[in-house]
Amino acid sequence: MIACVAVVGHQNNPLYLQSFTGADDALKLHHIVHCSLDVIDERVNNPKRSVITLNESYLGLLYPTESYKVYGYLSNTKVKFLVVTTDLDVKDTDIRSFFRRFHAAYVDAVSNPFHVPGKKIISRIFAARVSGIVKAFAPGTYG
Amino acid sequence: MEDYPEELRTPPISLVSVVGCPELHQTISSFLHAEQPPINTLALPDFSKISVLSRKQKDPLSSSHSAAGILKRDWLSKHRTRVPAAVAALFRVDCVTGDPAQWLQVCTDLENLKAVLHGRGIKLIVILVQTYANEDVNEDLKITLRKRAEIDAKYLMMLVQDDTPELKQSLTRLSSTLAELCNTYYREEGRKIRIRIEKRSFSSVELNIRYCFKVAVFAEFRRDWAEALRFYEEAYRALREMIATSTRLPPVQRLVEIRAVAEQLFFKISTLLLHGGKVEEAIAWFNRHFNSYKHLVGLDEVSFLHWDWLSRQFLVFAELLETSSAAIPNTLSSHFGTPESSLTEWEIQPAYYYQLAANYLREKRYCLDNLLSTGDSEFSRTSGKVPESVMPSVFIGQSARLVEQGDMIEVLPLSDAEYVQYALSEAQRFQDSYEIIALFRKACESFTNLKAPRLASLCSNRMAKEYFFTEDFTDAKKLFDTVSSLYRQEGWVTLLWESLGYLQECSIRLDSAKDFIEYSLEMASLPIFANGDQEIPDSKREYGPAGLPSQSRREALQSEVLSLVRGEEIVSRTDRGCSIAVTKEQPVRIDVDIISPLRMVLLVSVAFHDQSVKPGSPVMFTLSLVSQLPCSIEVDELEIEFNQPKCNFIIINAVEEISAARSNGDNQDVRIETAPSIVLPTNKWLRLTYDVKSDQSGKLECLSVTARIGKSFKICCQAESPASMEDLPFWKFEGMVQTFPTKDPVLSFSGQKVIQVEEPDPEVDLILNASSPALVGESFVVPLTVIPRGHEVYSGELKINLVDARGGGLLMSPRETDPFSSGNHHVELISISRMGDDDESRIHSDKIKKIQQSFGVVSVPDLRVGDKWSCKLEIKWHKPKSVMLYASLGYSPNSAEAARVNVHRSLQIEGKIPISITHTFMMPFRREPLLLSKVKSLPGADQNVYLALNETSILIVTARNSSEVPLRVKSMMIQSNSNKNETPYSIQHVGGVSADDSLLVPGGEFKGVFSVRPKIDSPNLELGSVCLNWNRDLTLSDSEDSGVVTEQKLPAVIVEQSPLVVSLEFPPHAILGIPFLFYIKVSNQTNLLQEIKYSLGDTQSFVFCGPHDNAGFILPKMEYVMSYKLVPLCSGSQQLPQATITSLRYSAALNPSVTATTIFVYPSEPNFFVADNEKETILAKLNL
Repeated sequence: MIACVAVVGHQNNPLYLQSFTGADDALKLHHIVHCSLDVIDERVNNPKRSVITLNESYLGLLYPTESYKVYGYLSNTKVKFLVVTTDLDVKDTDIRSFFRRFHAAYVDAVSNPFHVPGKKIISRIFAARVSGIVKAFAPGTYG
Repeated sequence: MEDYPEELRTPPISLVSVVGCPELHQTISSFLHAEQPPINTLALPDFSKISVLSRKQKDPLSSSHSAAGILKRDWLSKHRTRVPAAVAALFRVDCVTGDPAQWLQVCTDLENLKAVLHGRGIKLIVILVQTYANEDVNEDLKITLRKRAEIDAKYLMMLVQDDTPELKQSLTRLSSTLAELCNTYYREEGRKIRIRIEKRSFSSVELNIRYCFKVAVFAEFRRDWAEALRFYEEAYRALREMIATSTRLPPVQRLVEIRAVAEQLFFKISTLLLHGGKVEEAIAWFNRHFNSYKHLVGLDEVSFLHWDWLSRQFLVFAELLETSSAAIPNTLSSHFGTPESSLTEWEIQPAYYYQLAANYLREKRYCLDNLLSTGDSEFSRTSGKVPESVMPSVFIGQSARLVEQGDMIEVLPLSDAEYVQYALSEAQRFQDSYEIIALFRKACESFTNLKAPRLASLCSNRMAKEYFFTEDFTDAKKLFDTVSSLYRQEGWVTLLWESLGYLQECSIRLDSAKDFIEYSLEMASLPIFANGDQEIPDSKREYGPAGLPSQSRREALQSEVLSLVRGEEIVSRTDRGCSIAVTKEQPVRIDVDIISPLRMVLLVSVAFHDQSVKPGSPVMFTLSLVSQLPCSIEVDELEIEFNQPKCNFIIINAVEEISAARSNGDNQDVRIETAPSIVLPTNKWLRLTYDVKSDQSGKLECLSVTARIGKSFKICCQAESPASMEDLPFWKFEGMVQTFPTKDPVLSFSGQKVIQVEEPDPEVDLILNASSPALVGESFVVPLTVIPRGHEVYSGELKINLVDARGGGLLMSPRETDPFSSGNHHVELISISRMGDDDESRIHSDKIKKIQQSFGVVSVPDLRVGDKWSCKLEIKWHKPKSVMLYASLGYSPNSAEAARVNVHRSLQIEGKIPISITHTFMMPFRREPLLLSKVKSLPGADQNVYLALNETSILIVTARNSSEVPLRVKSMMIQSNSNKNETPYSIQHVGGVSADDSLLVPGGEFKGVFSVRPKIDSPNLELGSVCLNWNRDLTLSDSEDSGVVTEQKLPAVIVEQSPLVVSLEFPPHAILGIPFLFYIKVSNQTNLLQEIKYSLGDTQSFVFCGPHDNAGFILPKMEYVMSYKLVPLCSGSQQLPQATITSLRYSAALNPSVTATTIFVYPSEPNFFVADNEKETILAKLNL
């Protein structure tokens, strides 16, 4: 199950962070997402990275905590997408397709002429769409 | 890892025993230990000690059938220190070959040894020790001995004691034999147990595990790591199955035992994997290990044991990773996060495990504290007392109680309740917090080194919380401060909220009201809009003292701070005894600069409506304030501070009484304004506009605005210009409506907090004059006059500056070396002197403060209106250059130290070269010395001047006035560079225009004629320089000046001895039809015989007698004369017949020039009638 999704801006500032656990673990999830940014920095700045990851926006598994796994995705405009799952065994393809949908939702949200780039995403439609994607996410759902 | 016994931490080493011949033991054991792989030695000095090798009486508890535990605590150390794989019996040769009694003793010892080793598989080896190599042992004796010992021939060895090479060889042989025997022994032991496993001939799972463990250890003895790993894994698997099935022990202790054994097995597995370089497998194993046991928490009362154990797993694995970091391949990092690798960057870092170890230890502490604080657990009620004399039992993971009954000491098992009490009392002995802090610190440092600032700050955050827990508020505050700066920078509001909550509490406990107010205000102004009214019970633990971040909490915080600054007390949330208050005696003042996070609380933007203003006239000034606090805030007083304190003013809330503000003694001269109300609503600009008037010219800048709330709280904000205002931290990410600090949007984009107050207009004339261009070399005088018109001049100061008019600033060139001035200045300011009386000028020249080559400062006396002061600026040009002369006068219009007024004037002055000097050398008329090097040099190749030695040459110097003013030449002379007495040449002024003050109009020329006679032969003869003394026809200054000397160096000439000199001689004029003589004289100046050829061509104008072509010889130092008689046939200026003289020795021919061979032929004898004085003039002209 997806515990949390996040969009992080250029200055590593949170643009959107939504928890789906129902429990009050927002602080913990904030910490997890924040710490995962270190791995993104490491992967993006490390020139030794293999060519596959350089050309691809999907960054793979970033950070396993004891009970969560964090996956990352970097858009062309260097906006970071993160997802925290509680499933410890998730297929890469599922995560990839999840990120693609998530990215598409983000692109639609920031294409709103009333949205100022670099500011938090407050669109309710975006929130509803993301929670729809999250609900639909189950291992093996997408090819 | 340090807690583990040595035998568990290090790989097992084979053990052998040596008996007899104690003097050799040291040699043998050190040799064996140094072998690869090493062998440990158990040395027994003589055969009476062999009983230590005998099998011990079996402990009833440890019988293999009862299976009271899984692994025995001392089994590993037994095989490492007490049970040898082989025994080497040493006998001296002389004991064997000696008398029968000794032989009998040997046999008895051997028998005893065999009895001890019987049935245990320990190998025996017999060594005969020889003192010298030549001692020979009977072969029969050897066979007998072998039979006695029941060993193969190769296990009977000889050792030569005193022969070093032989001894070394024997020892090598011995060690290889022993290694082979050890290998056999451990393989056999392992196989025996493995058969039991394969046949499943064990009564319980415990035994299965034990057997697997033993097989693995024996395999490790043999360095068969693969088999060792397989059986350790098998043991681990069997143990995992045991969890649900075993009922041997009470449940709590059962789990403790399983966990202890699992820990040991896992330690072995991960050590083997890591040392084999299989890092990924080791990490995968660790994750499996963690996942298998993480949910086995057990009962609530002992959950702390679980967390403690879990933390230890992480710690040990971290230490293992750290010690084997060399084995981690570098290539591992290249594919993290890709489908091929499930690993991520931090999983191979020990820091990651240290951090988790600390996390679980924290969990343990939390559980333990909960348990101790509730204090009504079932166990504490039932059992009450902590059992005494509890010690670890013979099995790993078990504890037992020692009970003394008379002389007997009995070991009794513990009940679960007793065990829990014991574990609790043990756990309380440890200061977990320090351990947690140390682990977090370690992790934090590594993450910092790995350039993972966020993980490092998470560790710092946890560390700080632990300090907070141990009530070390100073350290906690320091750490929270560093952590919050990162969160602020990256805009993580929730994370910052948590840290600030702790910081707020720390400042109460440290009794710092200022810090408390700062943190509270920052929290209250964070962009948090959640409506989390209901408090979740666990949120205190999660979020710390701040609680859940919500809008209502923000509002509560704001009102808390406002009540604090209005005099109420604030009590700590964690310790009710602690409180802070703001009093009149200890007022609080907060400074907000442009990088402070408190800009969210109060942001001040100030703008002048103009960019510059005249002194004394008012300018509009708008002050805008905004606050992000959740509720409106009312300010009692605003104090605006400028860099000119006279402009400062105070704005008072009209509701407040003005008299209250006036009562403050300090503020009596300060302007006070009132505003109807100074209330700052959330995120709405409060704009106040006032007039500001400044009398002082220069910059007027608004520095800060201080808001006073209550009697003893002030918040001082650095003023910001709207044009260069940074976005608010945090709020810049919020989608808010953009607002402007001023109503006028233009002012919002361009408004500045600085205004330029202009200078008052000067009312003094400064006159600079320069009549004509300046001439290089002269002291050019520029008169300067100061005439006050409306202002009086006090403490005036005149600054003079010379700047290159074509730009570049400096009037010097660093590359050119200029012989005229030491400082390389092309134009130099020489002096500034008062015009008029000399004495006065001296007085004034004393007042000159400073003169540099292009800069001068002079003080100007006080002047009333109607006075006049002038001075002369003397400037000298060394090079023709165009120069800007800047003069600026700074003065005070009145005697008091008030604003200064400046007058600036500038003047461009051209510097010109006054006179250009050229020169030419000539030979005397009709005389031609042969100069060989001149003949050889190509025409036009060089511009050198060649002069003949001891021949007179003529030098004509021409000075031309190239300026636009008439000049007067005072004198022209050639000045020798060297000493006058020893000049290598003589030079004389022979003619030219008289140099007595001759006027030289612009473009006019002045010529001087000099004769030069070189006296030495030199390829580089310096002739000195031409010195021309001149002055202007109309001098600028009143004083008589001695004139300006313009000096120009003459080029060096080449002087050489000429071998032949040709001179032509004929009268100055001829008369038609009357013959005259024409001589060509060639003088040989060498000591050689010279042969010459000469010829004379025919012309129409003359007939002549004499040879057309001829040759002749000239004796040394003699002269050869060719004489012709010519009769002119035509009148007028006529060319003589063309003569050619050729020197054969030098291959040089001379054709005299046309001017030299021209003669004027009169038609008849002329008659001149001229007066005497006119004759002189004509002669003088002819000379010219």
